[in-house]
Amino acid sequence: MGENKSDVLQGTLDLMVLKTLESMGPLHGYGIARRIEQVSRNGLILNQGTIYPALLRLQQRGWIKAEWGMSETNRRAKFYALTRIGRKQMAQETENWERIAGTMARFLAVSE
Amino acid sequence: MDLVRILLSRCAALFRRDRLDEDLDEELRAHIDLAAEENVKRGMSAQEARNAALREFGGVTQTKEAYRTQRGFSLLAVPMQDVRFGVRQLAKAPGFTFISLLTLALGIGATTAIFSVVDAVMLKPLPFSTADRLVQVGSTIAATGAGGTASYLDFVDMRAQNHVFDGMAAFRTGDFTWIGRREPVLLQGAAVSAQLFSLLAVTPALGRSFRAEEDSPAATGGTDPVILSYGVWQREFGSDASALGRTMQLGNQTYTVIGVMPKGFQFPIQAEPVEIWTTIAVDGRGGANAMIAQRGAHYLDVIGLLKPGVSIQQAQAEMAAIAGALSKQHPENKARTVRLAPLLESLVGNLRAPLIILMGAVGCVLLIVCVNIANLLLARATARRMEVAVRMALGASRRRVFGQLLTESLLLGLVGGGLGIAVALELTRVLVGMMPVEIPRLNGAGLDTRLLIFAALVSMLAGVLFGIVPALQAAKVGLTESLQKAGRNSAGEDTGSNCLRSSLVVSEVAMAVTLLLGAGLLLQSFVHMTQADPGFDPHHVLTFQIDAPAGMDRALWPGFYRDVVARIGALPGVTSASAALLLPLMGDNIRSSIEIEGQPTPIGSRPSADFNAVAPNYLHTVGTALVEGRDFNAVDDSSSTPVVIVNRKLARLYFPNQNPIGKHVRPGIGNGYGSGEPPMREIVGVVEDVKQSGPASDTDPAVYAPLAQSPFDSIFIAARTESDPAMIVTAARQQVASLNKNVPIYHVKTLDQYFADSVAEPRFISLLLGGFAMLAVLLACLGVYGVVSYAVVQRTHEIGIRMALGADGGSVVRAVLSRGMRLAAMGVAIGLAGSFALVHLLSSQLFGVRATDPMTFAGAALALLCIAAMASYIPARRAAGVNPMAALRNE
Repeated sequence: MGENKSDVLQGTLDLMVLKTLESMGPLHGYGIARRIEQVSRNGLILNQGTIYPALLRLQQRGWIKAEWGMSETNRRAKFYALTRIGRKQMAQETENWERIAGTMARFLAVSE
Repeated sequence: MDLVRILLSRCAALFRRDRLDEDLDEELRAHIDLAAEENVKRGMSAQEARNAALREFGGVTQTKEAYRTQRGFSLLAVPMQDVRFGVRQLAKAPGFTFISLLTLALGIGATTAIFSVVDAVMLKPLPFSTADRLVQVGSTIAATGAGGTASYLDFVDMRAQNHVFDGMAAFRTGDFTWIGRREPVLLQGAAVSAQLFSLLAVTPALGRSFRAEEDSPAATGGTDPVILSYGVWQREFGSDASALGRTMQLGNQTYTVIGVMPKGFQFPIQAEPVEIWTTIAVDGRGGANAMIAQRGAHYLDVIGLLKPGVSIQQAQAEMAAIAGALSKQHPENKARTVRLAPLLESLVGNLRAPLIILMGAVGCVLLIVCVNIANLLLARATARRMEVAVRMALGASRRRVFGQLLTESLLLGLVGGGLGIAVALELTRVLVGMMPVEIPRLNGAGLDTRLLIFAALVSMLAGVLFGIVPALQAAKVGLTESLQKAGRNSAGEDTGSNCLRSSLVVSEVAMAVTLLLGAGLLLQSFVHMTQADPGFDPHHVLTFQIDAPAGMDRALWPGFYRDVVARIGALPGVTSASAALLLPLMGDNIRSSIEIEGQPTPIGSRPSADFNAVAPNYLHTVGTALVEGRDFNAVDDSSSTPVVIVNRKLARLYFPNQNPIGKHVRPGIGNGYGSGEPPMREIVGVVEDVKQSGPASDTDPAVYAPLAQSPFDSIFIAARTESDPAMIVTAARQQVASLNKNVPIYHVKTLDQYFADSVAEPRFISLLLGGFAMLAVLLACLGVYGVVSYAVVQRTHEIGIRMALGADGGSVVRAVLSRGMRLAAMGVAIGLAGSFALVHLLSSQLFGVRATDPMTFAGAALALLCIAAMASYIPARRAAGVNPMAALRNE
């Protein structure tokens, strides 16, 4: 593994994937990985492979669904999309994350 | 919610593994392709683009691994992996796998087949919703427990006085001849009290059930109601609903069809299913002489339906008290009591012991199979020591190694079990075919869920049983020690495993001895039975049953029978013919009280004797020797002095040291034509004792009255022929039909067949047990062979040295042989000791041989020792053939 690539917290990556799918609509794995890298302005360079277990995890929970389709370059690829449950969970997870982030921020501020 | 969904998708993933893997591969390929395309757009060369894509992706293999972990249960993934590995391991050793599966299939197959019989006959609940509350109420002689049937008056009193049953019913079976058709048809029937069907909670599929008042002949107004079985309704009435209301002429009586029972309904449950049911009213005609009017006519089976919450013990106490009061009130009931038993148990009756013995025996065989496979596995484990050690060195935990080895055994067990089920199905068919037909419910034996569950459990148990010791042994392996040792060929110090294998062999020899001994005892007992003198000559005698023509006056029956006998006797090839109420060994007897002249005793405490009514020349026809006096002749009829012939046993018991001829006895039945007390009869002859109930049974005192002086409406004709009795059957049928076309002949059977049937059960059991014993001995022999030859292989080096130092072949053979024989001797000793403790279980099945017969013990021991000697001799010869140079060079 390259040292410049960061290990991402599991929950964080899940939320990123959900958010990406919410804003971009159905997308294939590569597209999701690229989008996450772009949004983070390349501040986060993933081992792109790590999103696949995350995608599976979300599927198992029923938050996203997968379907084979054609990419813009006519390559067969698996496309992921949010489900109704996923959309609902999105809101909850966002709130959770914001709470944690807020707590962390306050915690760090005090420690300084 | 979430958890369930995850679990489900993970479970599903277990079974779609290959497809999902392809799916993932395809998806990851797409990812790399897409990334590479984009890189090319940015100006990279194709190769560069691809490399960059792969780099960005991270490890493809790691991703797949992580993905798979996320996908399945690691908890289950490991066993699945073990299973796949196990399959590969077993496939790599086809010889071992084949032998193990073969013996397992035989062991599990035999066990399952016997279980299917035991289950069908003994365990499956009766097909009535009230089955668990149904009990048999047996009216028995208190002192001996004999009997079981009650009189109708007793039944009525017990029904009225008890508080423990929701209802009671009485019934008896009997044949009915359906006449008025082109050909008379014999139907299996039962006369039952009206409440029977409601106790069983069964209602007719068509029409109605009996009404309570229909138990009385007065209420039926001459046409008794009859209910048909589904089978008869289909066969004889073409499943026509208009059968209801039709009349049937059954014997002397006209019946009206009022109902049809549901398909498959059977009661009483017996090998030959009942085809029509009528009420007990059939036994109610004839005033004071009617069967149901006589307190002393103990001829009905009685069942009761326990009230909910009443235990069988409570019911027993109350019923015994009622029976006690009845026995005080009525001299006919003196010394009688009742015994309650669950209906199912009473149905199984005498079969319980033999079935349990067979189940035990087959279980033993299965254990021996397991021991053998455990031994093979132990040998293999030693050979696989290197593999195990390497896997442990590479980081496998002991638990993991243990689990893996046990999985392999379970796999073997389950595959063996699968094959075993196939064997069991075939074997069950053969068993059912071989079994004596009188066993009720046997037809229910076959493949069903219960059987599959049993087979699966047995297979699993077997797998654990033979797998656990080798697996424990292997997982215990010391790592370094083993890696060092495995490099060398000689594992001579491997004493722990050898000791284990030896004790396994000892135990299987012990079990084989026990089985062989049991089989030996039963086989001898069977031979004794067939060789015991039955008191008659069963060869070349044809018999069949006929009824007196319907409507014929009682007084004319003897004449009719005489005509039939005369016609049959005149057939070419028939040397002698006669008639009798009962045939020997037909499994049926009629007991009668007897009063001995000069020893007046009140009814109830009189001794009893087997009763038979026979025509002149009967004794000669069946080959029973007259010891003293004369046979009946044509003069002994209704108008002459009542006479009787007694058997030796009766003469010896009641007329010791006297000449019984000219003395008098009074049998309690056979009162000829009048009502009132049966007459005193003058003894005119004494005959040899005849085995009436079975070749193994004791002979009871017996009396024979002349058929002409005590006529019955249904009798047997017996004809001794010069050659094959089967040749006269057609002619006999024609002769009877020409006398009266409404008289069918039935139960056509030779006396030889009656004889064979009477020993069918012991023959079946001893054959089966003999088969199991052979199998056990063979397997034990293989076990001894395996252990001894393995020891020889392990000690090749040592033997080589010994021979190089001057030992000759003979001493090597002796050394190896003695090793095998030591094991066998230990096994035999333990087996004999164990048998000594167990054989008493067999004693109820034995005839003419003691359970502790020393010859049989010695024989079984000797047989196994000889076989063990042979099994050890082969490897011993091989050991003696060792070339010392080659053995040492191999090192």
